[in-house]
Amino acid sequence: MLRSLSRPILTIAASATLLSACAGENASEGEAGSQAAEEPAIIDVRQTNLEEIGDAFKAIRGQLEGESPDFAVLETQATMINANAQKVIDHFPEGTGMDAGFDTEALATIWERPEDFAAAHQALIEASEGMVAAAQSGDAATVQAQVGELGKSCKGCHDNFRVDDD
Amino acid sequence: MSESAKQAPSPKRTVDVWDLPVRLCHWAFALLVPAMWWTAENSEWGWHKRLGLLLLGLLLFRIVWGVVGSPTARFASFVRGPAAILAYLRSGSNGAIGHNPLGAVSVVVLLLAMLVQVSLGLFAGDPFDGATGPLNPLVGVLTADMLTDWHETFFDAIVVLIGLHLAAIAYYAAIKRNNLIGPMIGGKRTVESDVVGNAPAMWKAVLLSMAIAAGATAWIAVGAPPLG
Repeated sequence: MLRSLSRPILTIAASATLLSACAGENASEGEAGSQAAEEPAIIDVRQTNLEEIGDAFKAIRGQLEGESPDFAVLETQATMINANAQKVIDHFPEGTGMDAGFDTEALATIWERPEDFAAAHQALIEASEGMVAAAQSGDAATVQAQVGELGKSCKGCHDNFRVDDD
Repeated sequence: MSESAKQAPSPKRTVDVWDLPVRLCHWAFALLVPAMWWTAENSEWGWHKRLGLLLLGLLLFRIVWGVVGSPTARFASFVRGPAAILAYLRSGSNGAIGHNPLGAVSVVVLLLAMLVQVSLGLFAGDPFDGATGPLNPLVGVLTADMLTDWHETFFDAIVVLIGLHLAAIAYYAAIKRNNLIGPMIGGKRTVESDVVGNAPAMWKAVLLSMAIAAGATAWIAVGAPPLG
């Protein structure tokens, strides 16, 4: 009974060791034509940039869920979104997508349809400018309406240029 | 082991231990938890959500089955207090089939941990940023963000618990010479002749558990109306 049980466990352990050894080998050798190239640093930069936009957008929506939103906070967050939004397009050099084998959700459509990507980027910048203006207006309903616009621009890009959710 | 040494060699026989629903749930969990991890790592959110709902349904089924299932499936038959757990640790033997008092803790903790993890996932995500759990609209954006973080972090706890579970199985196999995997596959084990086997489950109980689990899961999947 012991033997029959311990054998599969040992086999699993041994295969796991072999697998990890193989993975290590691939990474260090970096064979020509393989996708073991080092991950471009820009992927991390753009993910952080977009995550900051996401967090700021959540902060804005969080404010609107409260009794009375703090418009100073709204303006700070909106300004940050706008500043980060400007940078987005420069964060996607060719060859840094999913297809290149990197840990990213960036689809090849970004480089196949550069004009559409640029238009989506422009929509984000405009929506974020609109959010700064809405925050400055001091009117919660205006900000709420702009949440829809900004959210649409986020989604517009995610739907076309990021890996499908469903 | 001490019992068999004391008594005259008693004839061994094979009895039922685990009913089919218990075994199916168990192996489905063993497949689904790694699948949930894989789909999350690979951004397969559609599958992550579908399999998550399947996991929720199976968890609910197992919980109802823990009330109406065969004797060894029932929580009331194996969940014991600290005194029984200590006594088991001292004697090292259970004297009956089914979960021992310590294994019972493992069952309850693993089921609860999976239930917590799946529940967090129901609220996770952001509608403007990819996939969301079916109950995401019920909470505010900041709450959802916090629950999403917890959902990511709590997986580590699941991994630790699974590690303990596997270590215990290996310990029983290597040290106690007790094969726990075979009975979880075939449902039967060899016992001393005076040990009573498990009684069969009832089909009505299977149907009832399935109906409750499927109904509750479907209700949650559509956003828990009228709450949603």
